[in-house]
Amino acid sequence: MTLFLLGAAGALAVLVVALERVRTWLASMRTAVGLLVALAVLASLGVLIGQELPPETYVERYGHALGTFVVRTGLSSIFHSWYFLLLVWAIALSILLCSFGRMLRLARGGRRGLRTLGSLLAHLSIAVIFAGGLVTAVGGFRRPAARFLGAGDTIEVPEGGFSLRVEEARTEFNEEGALSDYVSIVTLLEDGREIGRRRIEVNRPLVYHGVGVYQYEMLPAADSILEAHLGVLVPPDDGERMVEVVAPFREVVDVPGTELSLKALEFYADFTYDIEQRTAELASVWHRNPAVLVQVLESGRTVGEVWAFPGSRGHEGGRDLPCRVFLFDYVPDYDRGLTRFEFTRQPGTPLIYAGFLSLSIGLCLTFWTRRS
Amino acid sequence: MWPAPDMPFFWIAFWCYLGGTVAASIYAGLRNAVVRRAAYVLTLAGLAGNTVALVVRSAASGHPPVTDLFEYLTFFAWAIVVGFVVLWRRKGFELLTVFAAPIALAVLVVASLFPAEIERQLIPALQSYWLWVHVTLAVFGEAAFAVAFAASVLYLVGLRRGRPAADLDVLDAVTYRAIGVGFPLFTMGALFAGAVWAQRAWGSPWSWDPKETSSLIVWLVYAIYLHARLVRGWKGGGPAALSIAGFAVTFFTILGSKILGGLHSYG
Repeated sequence: MTLFLLGAAGALAVLVVALERVRTWLASMRTAVGLLVALAVLASLGVLIGQELPPETYVERYGHALGTFVVRTGLSSIFHSWYFLLLVWAIALSILLCSFGRMLRLARGGRRGLRTLGSLLAHLSIAVIFAGGLVTAVGGFRRPAARFLGAGDTIEVPEGGFSLRVEEARTEFNEEGALSDYVSIVTLLEDGREIGRRRIEVNRPLVYHGVGVYQYEMLPAADSILEAHLGVLVPPDDGERMVEVVAPFREVVDVPGTELSLKALEFYADFTYDIEQRTAELASVWHRNPAVLVQVLESGRTVGEVWAFPGSRGHEGGRDLPCRVFLFDYVPDYDRGLTRFEFTRQPGTPLIYAGFLSLSIGLCLTFWTRRS
Repeated sequence: MWPAPDMPFFWIAFWCYLGGTVAASIYAGLRNAVVRRAAYVLTLAGLAGNTVALVVRSAASGHPPVTDLFEYLTFFAWAIVVGFVVLWRRKGFELLTVFAAPIALAVLVVASLFPAEIERQLIPALQSYWLWVHVTLAVFGEAAFAVAFAASVLYLVGLRRGRPAADLDVLDAVTYRAIGVGFPLFTMGALFAGAVWAQRAWGSPWSWDPKETSSLIVWLVYAIYLHARLVRGWKGGGPAALSIAGFAVTFFTILGSKILGGLHSYG
């Protein structure tokens, strides 16, 4: 028993000495500068290598051996790697130990003044900023919504205890036609009750119960347009008689000089065709493969329908029609758009702001006041 | 996009800074007071042209000239010359202050490589008063780093040529003072105001975006300089080289979003 106690005491003494050595090492200025240099080097690597890309991108970019090395050592996600986080916390500890040492010296009657106070404040502020980062890392999140929403769609806000129903999603333009804003008008719903209408814009998020809802992406409508600019070949094999027709969506327009008229019936932003079901479908909300279903009328009677695609791509379904129809261009429907939100909870942000504020004050006191 | 009515004034500034650069080069060799005065006058004329260019551009666009790289660099050149002008009245800084024109000229040369057309309608992400606060403070901080850079270059040249220690001490002091002015400004503008705006626009004060990270590296380089200089009393070629490296990283940060992309790649 005595031997055990002696052994434990010895081990404790060794531990205390080792901890004291670590403390002395971390509190030294040489170590602090070394840690800052290491942080600068790792951050530079992060910028130069590129972060959070698919693994195959690194192999393509740097070759198999180096690309694999980058991925395996965590250099492709350096700011979340264990060694980067270890370094950050070593710096935080170093700053705290340095600051406590200074405070002790001040308490023992060391040189005082605005500069000393500013320097101390600046150093402690960095620890506060790190603490804010830690609070967010533990209790926060940042998550884009899984899908785009149109008018009438509802989405549950993660960890918010409320939902949003989209009333309007639109892209706004100024009088000169330049993009001016992305706007989502939503109704906030909580426990089945309507809390009220809110407007979400870029730079103006909705914050409710500590969860921020941000305007993340906006697309024009995927299933409607304002007008289609169609090219019509009459008769279908005569390239000399191409007539351009502007067809407002779902309105009948005459083809000049003919008995024909057209109607843009449907629009799919990303057209695909289900061969088994023999139906046209919307593959995604992105405008990747736009197509307009055009109804062709002759002397007021419907003679058929055809899908018109951009460029000279024709559609075999229209070979029996009295004309061929091409989609030259279209005006997207920005008023009935599709919105995508990002949800965030950043509980450490007030600490980060407080840290930056006191850091700024501390630096101004340190460098912009006269030495006492 | 609209034609830029500020371009005549931009080119006036450009040619005046070029003249100032030629005069500065002659002065560096001859140390003639008349040539030095010519360098000052040309630099001041360039500053006047630069100022008018910025005012005209702001009036035409309806927003501060900080929304794309052309505007940023034109504003940066202006801030650098203002930084040097502050030193002009001080005795012992004659050689240093003639270097305002070459640095401003280099910045305008880079600016001229970018499109100068005016975008009256800001994209949604830039429609915030934080743009003004964030960029302006950062530019003034970076301009102070440019002054430190010039002093550091002259320090190293002087060290190599065996200039008197008193002259070198003045340059060392200017480097330290300029960084002492720029460091708080850069912290408030690039990091603090940037974090507040990032929270409002992107939902997080920090995203490890290439430009954010580059700004952090700039901050770290100058923090290392200040710690070494302040606490360890480090003097000589080392701190001067670190100040030069800091400005190189600063310039990379300004242009970085063009090369590396990311959230800051607006224009």
